[in-house]
Amino acid sequence: MRAIYTAATGMAAQELTVQVISNNIANQQTTGYKLQRAQFQDLLYQNLRRTGSSTSTQNTIVPAGIQIGSGVKLATTARNMSQGTISSSGKDYDLAIRGEGMFKIRMPDGSAAYTRDGSFELDSTGQIVTHDGYVLEPGVTVPTNATSVTISAAGVVQVGVTGQTALQTLGTVQLSRFINKAGLDSIGDNLFIETAASGQPIDGTPTGEGFGSLQQGFLEASNVNAVTEISSLIAAQRAYEMNSKVVTAADAMLSTTTQMFRS
Amino acid sequence: MENALLIGLSRQMALAREADVIANNVANVNTNGFKARSQRFEEYLMPVAKADSFPGAGQRLSYVLDGGVGLDVTQGAIERTGNPLDLAIQGDAFFTVQTPAGERYTRDGAFTLNSAGELVNASGFKVVGDGGVITFSPQDGDIEIGADGVINTKQGPRGQIKLVSFDNSRLLTSEGDNLFSSTAPSRPVGKDVKVSAGSVERSNVKPILAMSRLMEVTRAYQNITNMIQRTDELRGSAIQKLADMPS
Repeated sequence: MRAIYTAATGMAAQELTVQVISNNIANQQTTGYKLQRAQFQDLLYQNLRRTGSSTSTQNTIVPAGIQIGSGVKLATTARNMSQGTISSSGKDYDLAIRGEGMFKIRMPDGSAAYTRDGSFELDSTGQIVTHDGYVLEPGVTVPTNATSVTISAAGVVQVGVTGQTALQTLGTVQLSRFINKAGLDSIGDNLFIETAASGQPIDGTPTGEGFGSLQQGFLEASNVNAVTEISSLIAAQRAYEMNSKVVTAADAMLSTTTQMFRS
Repeated sequence: MENALLIGLSRQMALAREADVIANNVANVNTNGFKARSQRFEEYLMPVAKADSFPGAGQRLSYVLDGGVGLDVTQGAIERTGNPLDLAIQGDAFFTVQTPAGERYTRDGAFTLNSAGELVNASGFKVVGDGGVITFSPQDGDIEIGADGVINTKQGPRGQIKLVSFDNSRLLTSEGDNLFSSTAPSRPVGKDVKVSAGSVERSNVKPILAMSRLMEVTRAYQNITNMIQRTDELRGSAIQKLADMPS
């Protein structure tokens, strides 16, 4: 019975959906996390009687052929890159991006990674770094005698220094954009890297054409919506159950056939 | 073999195939833009002997054949996703995508951009617009797609999504990967067709119907098995009784 294998592909697909959903729920409180959604495609069809073939000598055409599909497959776990909620954190080096763009991070091996997680800290040398100590590009070093820091919407970092009335400008935080940001590759630790699908990064300054603005003292929460996730989870569970019922039904049919044999 | 057996067998084969069709529908219950298929049966009359010289007329025997698997083109539920490149069609129409094998049609509107800024589907096939492939530049900013499929960006219009329909869309051939092909030519869509951006069309499989039909199929299959067994028993006992000559 083909139905058993077809239903098995359905069960496998729903299992993958649950995996994707559980990862979304697990990262509900992860700063800058972007949710994923499993999308499916139907598998190949077997044509037992082709649509459009003729049925008589008078060239009568079969209106609808016999096409038997063989199930479902996972097409993509596309990321939804929509903006997450921005909430106040009150910390000086916490930055949220309102709109397009990602922070560029220099990895220990010198390569670039990108993130929407703007919870930065200072390291022992005064550089602005991520939680993992990776440097925010282009590097901004805050002097030890700085008393206050302001990061403007356009990314300009200014500090007040003891004994000086004027603020000292240290540099500008830059952002990077991608033509297909959904094509970025997640490498964990809230980081993404460029792929052939995402295209080359387009660097620019916040508030520039096509770039979002920065908000100091705020963080972007994940864009996971608990209600949507839970309802998708219920739908996936029901779909899984339905597929298992198909396996049971196909098995019952097979079993009646086998029971026809009498010793 | 006896006719009753063969007729029962023809019905069982058709039912087993219907179970396969239902299984495929259920497996695709969460596939975007999926259209359910349903089995249709037809009667096959066994040709009788041509000669009329028999004392009794030849008895016509009808077998069952699975005549066709029709496409259910009804609208699936539309779900909001919030992704501006996700498109759902309301009405009788299809998106056109460019595949290496030629133009294919789909109702799965979960589109993205590729690295060249072209609008593509989940398999990477380019979505066809009125002026060919739809391409965006990095400066375009937010993309807005209207109900008529016209695409606008901050930098100006970027063409219109090409929608097509068919005189009889039930005749489309499924190719897998959510794509359909057609031997009949496509035509422009009517005015009542609308595109809704930020949503996708879900599968139009009706789970309750599929499950009930599956139950029916299983029961019908079992009934035929019973019938075949009864016929066999009948024959068995006939042979025994007839051969049981009183000594």
